[in-house]
Amino acid sequence: MPTATLAMPWIRRSLRTSGLILAALAIAWAVLVVRAPIDAMQGVIQKVLYVHVPCAFSAYAGFIGTALFSALYLWSNDERFDRFAAASAEVGVVFCTLVILTGPIWAKGTWGHWWAWDPRLTVTLLLWFVYLAYLLLRSFTEGSARTARFAAVYGIAGVLAIPLNYFAIDLFGGAAMHPDNLERGSLGAGMGWPFAVGVFTGLAAYAHLLLLRTDLESLRAEAIETGQPPGA
Amino acid sequence: MSEPALRAVGLGKRFGRSVALAGLDLELPQGTSLAVLGPNGAGKSTLLRLIAGLARPTSGSLSVAGTPAHRPAARALVGFIGHASLLYSNLTARENLLFAARLQQVGEASLRVEQLLETSGLARVADLPIAGFSRGMAQRLSIARGLVHDPPLLLLDEPFTGLDPRAAAGLAARLASLREAGRTLVLVTHDPKRAAELADRAIVLAAGRVVFERQGIATGAADLERAVLAAGDAAT
Amino acid sequence: MSVFLAILWKDLVTEWRSRDRITAMLLFSLLVVVIFHFSLPGGATRDTQATAPGLLWIAYVFSALLGLNRSFSLELENDALSGIALSPVDRGWIFLGKAASNTLILGAAQGVTALVFGLVFEVDLAAIALPLAGVVALGSVGICSVGTLFAAVAVRTRFREVMLPLLLLPLLVPVLLGAVRATAGLLETGALAFEPVQLLLVTDATYLIVSWLVFDFVLDE
Repeated sequence: MPTATLAMPWIRRSLRTSGLILAALAIAWAVLVVRAPIDAMQGVIQKVLYVHVPCAFSAYAGFIGTALFSALYLWSNDERFDRFAAASAEVGVVFCTLVILTGPIWAKGTWGHWWAWDPRLTVTLLLWFVYLAYLLLRSFTEGSARTARFAAVYGIAGVLAIPLNYFAIDLFGGAAMHPDNLERGSLGAGMGWPFAVGVFTGLAAYAHLLLLRTDLESLRAEAIETGQPPGA
Repeated sequence: MSEPALRAVGLGKRFGRSVALAGLDLELPQGTSLAVLGPNGAGKSTLLRLIAGLARPTSGSLSVAGTPAHRPAARALVGFIGHASLLYSNLTARENLLFAARLQQVGEASLRVEQLLETSGLARVADLPIAGFSRGMAQRLSIARGLVHDPPLLLLDEPFTGLDPRAAAGLAARLASLREAGRTLVLVTHDPKRAAELADRAIVLAAGRVVFERQGIATGAADLERAVLAAGDAAT
Repeated sequence: MSVFLAILWKDLVTEWRSRDRITAMLLFSLLVVVIFHFSLPGGATRDTQATAPGLLWIAYVFSALLGLNRSFSLELENDALSGIALSPVDRGWIFLGKAASNTLILGAAQGVTALVFGLVFEVDLAAIALPLAGVVALGSVGICSVGTLFAAVAVRTRFREVMLPLLLLPLLVPVLLGAVRATAGLLETGALAFEPVQLLLVTDATYLIVSWLVFDFVLDE
């Protein structure tokens, strides 16, 4: 009798830890953001960046995660990696959507227009398309093994899009309008910590959601396999 | 030839909810022929496709004459004749065989193709596009395609389907002669009588496992038939 | 290598017998020229020549999508793709064979389309014919490399006509950027700029290598 295979009980145990870490970081971050000084030139709208930047880190973490898990899946043929890949893409797309939504909000408040074709923005948009296509591919393919394999191939190709597109758009794209405020010194005093904590919070959120989503898939697989509710 | 033609140990093919094969063990010496029976969905076609290297197992191991089945070197030793003909409708019979020969890296491809056309009785229609072929002719071409590289191991997935009695008899004779020539055969069939006639051993699959096994089945068609029916009932 | 040639030969012969792919691609490209003429404010003339490179490559990409889908849907008849997968060689060669035939067939359509564009936009093609052919070739290799890989994927999904463009277009941005810039540069100055060509070379190489490596997984079941 095939064992309730490939269910991953360790995920459930880890969820508690990751949830706690996330909660702690989120509270710290919220406090820091509220207390951070208001930017002299940009006004309060600048605080949107405290959300925008961490989301961007998490979005890219999601995409790189998908590519990594995809490669691991192809190499090992172990379906657990595929579950992580799919979860990572979903989480990544959510964060990427937040990036694309918060970006224009900030842009309108500071540059004066909603959109600009600068390299980072454009590449992030393209990546968003790639990962939506990844998710669509998964839902339109029949047969789970085939779905996993096709998605894995696309996940790897998609991550190549990051450097290639940066290279391409840098050569020709619009003026770089993205503030390069990740270097020390160009940030105002009191802004470094909220950003740093924010990024960690974002990554913790990515990790927690990844585990959560993968756990869901594992439970589903277990339920289907044993014909019983999980944990029975 | 000490290596068995085929060896499967704990062979499994599954993903998530679908289990096509679960823990299959099988060893087939060179020159024997095996019949594989069982209800639809039992995993017979999957087994054949795994042996042919068209799919990769998710657990266990599978080797052809000692080489893992998925490696290119193993694919050179296997001839596969599937449900579908694997042929191109707007190419001629000769062109289809030439293409297959080149894919299999057969030396002196044209010569080999002419030989095959002769033995398959298709020499006269060799330059007609196969779109117009009858089922029997297409089947003969399909088999020629599978044999183009003279493989020691031949896999056939329900080759008798849709054949009229004359064509079926021709096919049976062909298989018998291949068997006599020392090739290893794995034949998926629904028909226990065919199995008894053409194979030394038989296994019945159900839900991805072997539920019945028999050596020397020349006298055992009735047994086989019962086993197949039982497997079919169990599956429903 | 022989398998590569065998697949190339088979695809070209099959295409020659029916000529349906190339006809569809040509017809489509010509229709696109007409539609572009109506959608441009000034019409497609010498005055709007600046838009020509971009429009040309849009036409190429969409006609490539047509051809790519077809190249694998043909293989699905009679499960012929399994016949190819049985070949005892590294499956990267299979990818190369298909990609090469796709590039050649696309190339034929592209040649005619370029002529028509040249006519309509009043471009002196003769002067730039050779470098233009080079750019078109590089662009096509980029499109058909990752395009062949994902055509093999898309054709076995439920929504194949829609799936391929969705999968492919974001990945083709580097190819398009390089190709359009190079073409525009040629039209303006008659010379090939280095940067777009460099971009095309890097992208083509990357896509070819990756597609070669992963094609095995796409053919697997």
